[in-house]
Amino acid sequence: MQNQLEKNFLNDFEKNQNIVHKICRIYTTNQDEHNDLFQEITIQVWKNYSKFRGEAKFSTWMYRVALNTAISLFRKSKRKIKTQDFSDVSFKIKSVDYDDTKDKQLKALYLGIRGLNDIEKALMFLYLEDKPYKEIAKTLGITEVNARVKMNRTKQKLKKILNP
Amino acid sequence: MDLANYKKVWKNQPEEKNKISALEIYKMTQSKSNSLVKWIFIIGLLEFVFWFAINYLGTKNGALEPYEKLNLINFIDNFNYFHYVLVVLFLILFYRNFSLISTGDDTKTLMKNILLVRKTVKWYVYYNLIYAVVFSIILNILIFNTPDGINILSGIDNESFNKEHMMSVFIIAQIVVIAIMILILWLFYYLLYGILLKKLNKNYKELTKLNEIS
Repeated sequence: MQNQLEKNFLNDFEKNQNIVHKICRIYTTNQDEHNDLFQEITIQVWKNYSKFRGEAKFSTWMYRVALNTAISLFRKSKRKIKTQDFSDVSFKIKSVDYDDTKDKQLKALYLGIRGLNDIEKALMFLYLEDKPYKEIAKTLGITEVNARVKMNRTKQKLKKILNP
Repeated sequence: MDLANYKKVWKNQPEEKNKISALEIYKMTQSKSNSLVKWIFIIGLLEFVFWFAINYLGTKNGALEPYEKLNLINFIDNFNYFHYVLVVLFLILFYRNFSLISTGDDTKTLMKNILLVRKTVKWYVYYNLIYAVVFSIILNILIFNTPDGINILSGIDNESFNKEHMMSVFIIAQIVVIAIMILILWLFYYLLYGILLKKLNKNYKELTKLNEIS
């Protein structure tokens, strides 16, 4: 039987799962890894859910747990099933009313972000998600000044990758 | 195209097509974690058991019989009680530091706490090595200060035996064994934690590097 906590968790997590999928797409390179990371994030969010006091929005708190899992906890499993590399992200996210040019740009953006290191990926992800510097700094545990300096460097790095 | 435009593309990206249902999410929460923290905890506990067993077995199975003849049993027992108290303290510290780990913390604090647990186990291993060396040195001094100590230990009862020669062999043998053991252990830890913590150390360095900028 599910108790109220489980019901709330499932409801919150299901609604916000798109955040997790985006993080999985950034930090992994194939579908198996994507699924593994998604599962690990689910476990970690659930394990910590009772500590989530609702001081912040659930999604804000989930960004932190999900990124922490991707950066610090996730271990790629050793299984060697050859699966399709989704360097072509479009097969997952293409929809009927979607403009092909934008699809290509999105694909290029994902590929570019994958060329960054783990911390830079988190910075860029939070920037793209429109998070203020204060929140970015708080999520990573660094000062706002540091977050700005590093963000500028990351932006420059990504620009070079996107426009070689 | 500049990043501001890419940001728009990012914002307008469609939602994931393969949505995970609440039931699947529930099933996932029931599955086993494969996280780094879990492995750090398991390996840490195994190390506690391993080192404790090494010490415990060393004082069992008749290994202490010769020392009984030298009246060193009381000394060894006292040393062991002291050791057990410290092992318990290390275990408490290990558990306390482990319980500090929370994925809801900021990234830097989380990494710091994971590395702290690893450090606790590292101190425990260092302590065990230092303990073994100090214990051997004190024991050697006591044996050499006991008349016929070496003869009793080695079981050779020959007065014409070159005592000094025997002492040198005894000491050199101990040093060689300890050196080989430390080398094997160092290699083992270097590989084990090297592989396990490679990513974490790299990311922690990257984060702390930020602090040096301002």
